[in-house]
Parts: sequence; C-alpha cells; structure tokens
Amino acid sequence: MPDPDAQSPALRIRSLRFAYTPGAPPVVDIPELELAPGRQMLLTGGSGSGKSTVLQLVSGLLDPSSGEVWVGGTNIHGLSGARRDAFRGRHIGMIFQTFNLLHGFSAIENVMAALMFSDVPRSEHRDRSRSLLDDLGVERIDAPAETLSIGQQQRVAVARAVVVEPALVLADEPTASLDPDNAAQALDVIQSACRDREAALVCVSHDPSVESRFDDVRSLHELRAAQQEASA
Amino acid sequence: MALTDFDIIRRSMTARLFSTVTTIATVAIAVALMLVLFAMKDSGRRAFERGSGNMHLLVSRDSSPLVSILNGVFYAGAPSNPIQWQEFQQLSIDYPLEWAIPVQLGDSYRGFPVLATSREFFDVFRLDEDAGWSLAAGELFDDEFEIVVGATVAGATGLDVGSELFVSHGIAAPAALRGGGPAGGESHIHTEFTFRVVGVLDPTGTAHDRALFMNLESSWIMHAFDRALLGNPNAPVTTLEDITDADRLITGALLRVATRPGRDVSSAIQVVASRLRSDPSLTVAAPSREIGKLFTIVGSLQNLFVGMAAVVMVSSGIAIMLALYNSMEQRRRQIAVLRVLGCSRGRIFGLVVTESAMLGILGGISGAILSLVGLQIVGAVLKAQFGLVIGATLPPRESLVIVVVTIALASLAGIVPAMAAYRTSVARSLRPLG
Repeated sequence: MPDPDAQSPALRIRSLRFAYTPGAPPVVDIPELELAPGRQMLLTGGSGSGKSTVLQLVSGLLDPSSGEVWVGGTNIHGLSGARRDAFRGRHIGMIFQTFNLLHGFSAIENVMAALMFSDVPRSEHRDRSRSLLDDLGVERIDAPAETLSIGQQQRVAVARAVVVEPALVLADEPTASLDPDNAAQALDVIQSACRDREAALVCVSHDPSVESRFDDVRSLHELRAAQQEASA
Repeated sequence: MALTDFDIIRRSMTARLFSTVTTIATVAIAVALMLVLFAMKDSGRRAFERGSGNMHLLVSRDSSPLVSILNGVFYAGAPSNPIQWQEFQQLSIDYPLEWAIPVQLGDSYRGFPVLATSREFFDVFRLDEDAGWSLAAGELFDDEFEIVVGATVAGATGLDVGSELFVSHGIAAPAALRGGGPAGGESHIHTEFTFRVVGVLDPTGTAHDRALFMNLESSWIMHAFDRALLGNPNAPVTTLEDITDADRLITGALLRVATRPGRDVSSAIQVVASRLRSDPSLTVAAPSREIGKLFTIVGSLQNLFVGMAAVVMVSSGIAIMLALYNSMEQRRRQIAVLRVLGCSRGRIFGLVVTESAMLGILGGISGAILSLVGLQIVGAVLKAQFGLVIGATLPPRESLVIVVVTIALASLAGIVPAMAAYRTSVARSLRPLG
C-alpha cells in the first residue's frame, strides 16, 4: 500500500476531465491544481459547476474521463478497486452537507466505523474515537447519531473524517444546511481539526461568506476559463 | 474494542426487525417440517418393527398377511376365523420351531383389546433382543381370571394391581359398553366372571401397551358359558372342567424358527413359511416383510411430504432474497457511506451474503428447536392413539445435512441482493436528501 509522501503535495490534479456521457461537454475540467501538505483550499462555484463531482473524482469514487489525481504522491485512479477503497479509508476523510451519518449507530460507533477500514489497531478504536469526540465537544457519544442536534451531528461527521489522521480531508458544502452561526462554528471545527492533525483540506462551497476564511480560494469556473484561454 | 462487520450486520438485521423475524420464521418452519419428516421416517419404522419383536412368522386365518400383522401385532381388529387348538399343537410337531405361542384376540375391556395367550408370550417372546418384559407393579398371570395390564391401559383406565374388572366378549366401541348390557349383539360384558389385575407392565413403546393379557383358559371358560347359554338361558357358570375342544380356539400363533449358529436364518424361515403355506387355509406372515410393505406405501407418501418440504425450503430461500432485496433501497445510503469510509465492494458483497447466511443459521437453529417441540407433540399423539413411541430425537446425519443445506441455500439467496449492493453507485446514493 503506497503511503503518502510528506514531500509530495497533499493533492495534485493534472488535466482532469469528467463527463457523465462520453463526448458530452465535461462537467469537470481542471487543467492543474496543487495543494501542499497541511494547507487549506476553498473551491467555489455555482450549482451545477461540478463541485461535488470533483470531490468524488479526488476520492476515487468516480473515474475521470481523462487526467490524473495524485493524493500524497499516489495516483489514486492507478489503484485497483479494493486497493483504492483501502487507500481512501486510510488517507482521505470526507464531510458532507447532510453529514451522512450511519442511522441506528451511536455517535462513537459512527467514528469507529471509519477506523474499521484503517490500519489503526482494533484495541485502540474506542479510546481513540472517544477522545476525539471529547476534543470536538460531542457530549452524548453513546446516543444514536440521528438523535443529536445538527451542530453535534456536524461534529460527529468531522470526527469521523479526521479520526484516521488522513492526509487530505474533503468537505462538500459543509455549511449549506446550517444557519450562519452554526455555519461559522462548523467551519471553525473543520478547519481547526484539520490544522491540528496536519491534514490538508479541500472545501467546496457556493457560499461567498466562507471565502474570507481561506487563503487559497479557487473558482472552478476560472480554472476552466484558464484552460480554454490557454488552448485558444 | 472496535466496531466489526458483524456489528454492522446485526444492526442491519435489528433495524428491520419485523422483516428479519418473519424471514427467520419462514426458514424455521421449513427446516422443522423437513426435520420432523426425516425423524419420523426413521423412528416410525423402528417403532413399527419393535412390536413384532423376535418372532419370525405369524400364522392366522386372516384374509391376508398384512391384515394378519395389523391384527396380531398392532391390535387393529380381531381375526374372525379361528385356529383349532389341535392344529396349533401339530405345528410344533411338524415344524422345526424354537417356540410357538398361541394368541387369541376378540375380547376387550373398555375398548382396549384383551390378548389371551400362554405364559410363553412373556417368557420367550421379546420385543428387544436384550430386554424382556418388565413389570411396573405386581406379577404375570398364573391362573384363570388373572389379568395383566399394559402401560397405556393402566394410564387411561386407572387400573392397578388388585383392581377388578369385567371383560366383554368381542371388541366394541367404549361408548356401547358404557350403556351396560349387550350392544348390537356383537359384544357383551361377562359380569359372571370377575377378573383381578395382578400386574401392570412397563411401557414398551409398542401397540402392546394398549392391550390387557390373560391366559387362554379364561377366554375359553367364557366361550363355554356362551355355548351353554344357547341351550339353557339359566345355565350355571362354567368352570375349567366345562371346556371342550369346541371352546379351545385361538386366532393366531407367533412362531420362531429353530436356527443353528452358522445357518442362514432367513432361508430357514423361508423353508418353514412355504411349507406352512401348503395349507391354503392358513395365512403366513413374516412381520418384517409386511411392515416393509406397509412402509413402501407410507414411504412414498413420506417422499411426497419431503418433496413438499423441499419446495417450502426453496421458497423460504426466495423469502430471504426478497427481504434483503427489498431492503436495498433503504440501505443504499449506508452502503455508500461505508464505501466512502474505505469499505471495498467485495466487503459490501460479503456483508450482505453474511447477513443472508445469518438468516439461514438462525432459521436453521430455530427450526431444529421447533422440530423437537413438534416431535414431542406428534410423539404424544402417536403414543396416545396407537401406543407407538417415536423417539423425540433428530437423526444426526440428516439433521446436519438439512441445516447445512439451509445455510448454503440462504447464502445463495443472498447473492442477488449482494450483487445489487456491490453495484450500488456511491456518487448517486450520496446526493443530498431532499
């Protein structure tokens, strides 16, 4: 299993194109993108700009029409199915707008579920999950996840994404279903959780108020325009 | 401590508890049906064969060998054509027999058959090679009007050592007897002769538990009295001295052919049987052969049942498949989340197949328990109705095969929903829910 190289960028994209049907205009078209280890980046774009699709390509859940995605020095689409899944489990964390917590599982079990697919020794799973939830301020860790408040569910989702100490965290519209107060708090939690663990963060959002929180803000629209200019 | 694949399966099963329980119940019923049928196939035949014990041949004047066995071994009815006592005695002279036991049926007590026989019935006729008859209380009959009671009869009537009873001539329905005097002219209670219970037998697990036993002379004295009454309605009560050859009748003879070590027993029996058959008025029955015939009839019926049970098992497999397949819509998101967390498609496939196998395992275990309960019930009914004891145990090899087949079938049923799970598109299943 290739491990991410500390010297390699956390994320490197080269000529990435994706279309749902071959020959159709690509939904995603990113000529070049790079993110250094531990750094944070915001990708902006209106609805239909392919933001979520980019994250699924980066995490290896979708195969690109062409181009390459390197995560910590590993070409993720060069890995076969099961190896790619294992790589994602160990090195990539994902956070969703709707959290996607496992129903019927408690808060701590949701976090432990992520560790099932990591190489963390099994005996450490519970302790590690509990202390992380404590750090992030989750109070009822044994309550079914769906019974927690939205703010608490958000924290469980963050804990689940970072518990494996990933090289890269992908956050898909993490504030879209939150009110402004909760949104700010959520981003605080995500950004500090990643910073504390030296995980790089790629956040996609269409919310302009988020932009001020990131040094590195890229617009998917501009990335694509740059490509078209270059080829013109 | 860690979360395991098994936790995920268990949670998935309890999340759809109703569906899970009904699916397990479907499998359990199919397995139980199959197990009960197999258990009865074996022990049913054994229970039937036990009744004929160590006799080789049964001679009577019944209409066919099968009827002869049904009457003589299972007390289904009373043979109507008698054998003269002299004829019986001649048998032992003419044939190389280890023993010959005279039996006479036709009398009854509250619907239970009374077998008139000699003491040899208890001395040399054995139901098991290694165990003779044993008494729960008292002793065997020694004299006229002494009677020994089978275990079922004792249980049903409350007869015990010292009880007194009247025997009715001719087997009749208990309701007719309760009415008092002669009913329909077929049977009548001999209140002139008081029988005393001298012994109660231990249960044997055969039809003999439903019978009472007395010596032949007791029956012959009653017969002599009936004969005397025909001439004179006020005839005095008969005694042993009044018996004539006309009264000395039996309805059957249990025979065991004398065999020498090293000789082929079955051919020796064959020789005696075919010589006996040269008298066309005699019906010669080999119990194992007749019971074998009976079981070819019962057996093909059983095969039909086993076939039906197999269909039920297959349909329970389909029930598993449907239950899991229908749940796929609900679990698509969970599958997608697990994939995001690093779970491979193969492991997802395995989770669904394992859940399916779990339904098979739980159904198989529940089915085995259910079948033991079912066997107890069937056993109790058979014992009460026919005095047959069916072991409440499952045939180990068949049971194992059935349970293994169930689990294999369940795993197989899991493949279709597992394929659906395998193919679940993560990208599509994770779209924000409206």
